[in-house]
Amino acid sequence: MIEFKELQVTYPEFTLSFEDDAFPKNKVTFVTGRNGVGKTSFLKAIGKLLPYRGNIRYEGFATYHFQEPILFNRTVRENALYPIKIRKLDCADFEDKLKRYASILHIDHLLDRQAKELSSGEKMKASLLRSILFAPEIVLLDEPTTHLDLESIDQLTMLIKTLKPTTTFVIVSHNRAFIEALSDHVYHIGGKYVHR
Amino acid sequence: MFLEGLREAIELLLSFDRELYGIIGLSLFISLLATLTAGALGVLSGILISVTNFRGKRLLKKLIFTFMGIPPVVLGLVVLLVLAGPLSNMNLLFTRTAMYTAQTLLVYPIITGSIIITSEKTQQKVLETATTLGASRNNKLMLLIAETKPFILLSIILGFSRAISEVGAVMLVGGNIRGETRVMTTFIALNTSMGNYGASIAMGLILLVIAFLIHTTIARFRSDFYD
Repeated sequence: MIEFKELQVTYPEFTLSFEDDAFPKNKVTFVTGRNGVGKTSFLKAIGKLLPYRGNIRYEGFATYHFQEPILFNRTVRENALYPIKIRKLDCADFEDKLKRYASILHIDHLLDRQAKELSSGEKMKASLLRSILFAPEIVLLDEPTTHLDLESIDQLTMLIKTLKPTTTFVIVSHNRAFIEALSDHVYHIGGKYVHR
Repeated sequence: MFLEGLREAIELLLSFDRELYGIIGLSLFISLLATLTAGALGVLSGILISVTNFRGKRLLKKLIFTFMGIPPVVLGLVVLLVLAGPLSNMNLLFTRTAMYTAQTLLVYPIITGSIIITSEKTQQKVLETATTLGASRNNKLMLLIAETKPFILLSIILGFSRAISEVGAVMLVGGNIRGETRVMTTFIALNTSMGNYGASIAMGLILLVIAFLIHTTIARFRSDFYD
């Protein structure tokens, strides 16, 4: 479960305030709201990438996936295994999972390709693969359907369904079909600004 | 006059004149040593400055960027005043050590500044991504070095290019002493002023070949990076 109370993110010109809520464990929560209400700031605060005021509580590691992800200058496989390597885990133990998830996303034929050679949709999938392979307890996805065609969105939906029993997802998205296919809980940000 | 100079230059090069090749060797040696020293210090400090937040960081960066464009003759003057003043008892003025020092100081801000610019601008998202994947400070430092590798090589090559072609600073602190501190650029300056165009053209040709090799290498790294 992800619990937060009196959560605020402060910028030089304004402060964003978020209503208290608790997101269920091993479920998919969608964060919705108009452009500019602070969905990305909220997600980054949950991922502890932004300074915030208030309380955020959860167990385990939360990884944040950028809307415009960056792949490192190496192969797709090496990118996906990077979080495994820095945790000093045995990469061989993750090989089956790597192939399975890559196959769901239809990028299994790209594993040994240099990341810089991929299209933007393929880059998005490779980056998603890197974010989930090391089995973080919480995955925060910021508009993951950007750059993906309809077929690829279905593949991503399938992947999230596969991982849901052991992973809590918090997803910012405007894609109605994607939300309807996966949503267990919706957190709507109305845009409560406190201007300085 | 040019054709006559060119003929003289080819003859001189083919004669394998000991003094001429000694000057070439000394130029390459000092420039290489200065670039390697400045490169080691510049890469390390450039990456550290870009990943660390501290008081006075903006001022330090401004100073480094300013020194990236310092006229070599001004730097040479500063080094000369220091070696002739506070450090005069070390007897370093008009020595190869003085030339090495001046070139290192000249190249250091070029390498450091380039590394800071590329690390901060291009690699900001790489560091943020690494943070989201749970990377430690050391992991991020290693990742940044790996990701900036083409830029590191590029900035070192640029530094060497600046060192080998520099004349003002080495002339001031080295004194252009025959057999001791005479390098390719000061050789050209002296021979041109004496009207020995053949010797100047010969040395100029070698410098051009070196410049060509440097820029061919740069072009290769640039295409590697922008692929």
